[in-house]
Amino acid sequence: MDAPRTARLVETVLRCYPARWRRRHGEEAAELAALLIRDGTPASSIAWSYLAGAVRERLTPRPGLRLGTVACALLAAACLLGASAGLLAPAAPARAASTSQPRGRAQCQRGSPEPGPSVIPATGRAQVIIWEAGHDRSC
Amino acid sequence: MIVGRRDGRAGQDVLRRAGEASVLILISLAGGPRHGYALIQDIRELAGVELGPGTLYGALDRLERLGLIESLPAEDRRHPYRITAPGAAALRVHLDSLERVSAAGRLRLRLGGI
Repeated sequence: MDAPRTARLVETVLRCYPARWRRRHGEEAAELAALLIRDGTPASSIAWSYLAGAVRERLTPRPGLRLGTVACALLAAACLLGASAGLLAPAAPARAASTSQPRGRAQCQRGSPEPGPSVIPATGRAQVIIWEAGHDRSC
Repeated sequence: MIVGRRDGRAGQDVLRRAGEASVLILISLAGGPRHGYALIQDIRELAGVELGPGTLYGALDRLERLGLIESLPAEDRRHPYRITAPGAAALRVHLDSLERVSAAGRLRLRLGGI
């Protein structure tokens, strides 16, 4: 690999580091790479080393940011839970009513007082389903 | 990396989980301040280990955060690093620990007749 190409490769890989790291080590790191290449170290191995270092640098939490990151994660989780609960809540009673009705009928024997639901029309609202007395018996 | 104390006082081997690169860098800096390229060359001669530049800067940042080394004013574009007093103490504790393990290993080999 010719010199301009290796320089470009190292430069590209160094751009993977966070800006804070590049401000501190960027120029020195590029110079170090040039010196190592001059000594005979393959450019590809230098690029891999810098790439792995950039990944580690991005994945390692900074001591100051750790608490903030945890707080953000907790807040995001709480928002997600709240949103899911809000979406599921209106659907739950309707589903419960539709599933409980056939099961109650199937369990009862013929002749026994059927504790099925009676539908009382509520004025101006959705229908209310009330189970009649006897629903606590075995049938 | 979990470290008990920043100052590397007696008994605390803060370098136990620091990795080979960090220990080699401290050993190299124990001989005097050095910048990145000089560290790589010295470690190559000292231990026969080819330290990658990415590994080197990661270890330097970690050691500096722990207060075991400090960077000196830049010369040209290079930042020389120097071992601090807590760094020297931590290195001493770690090397003592390695010596104990090494001695125990040699003794067992001798007793086992291997």
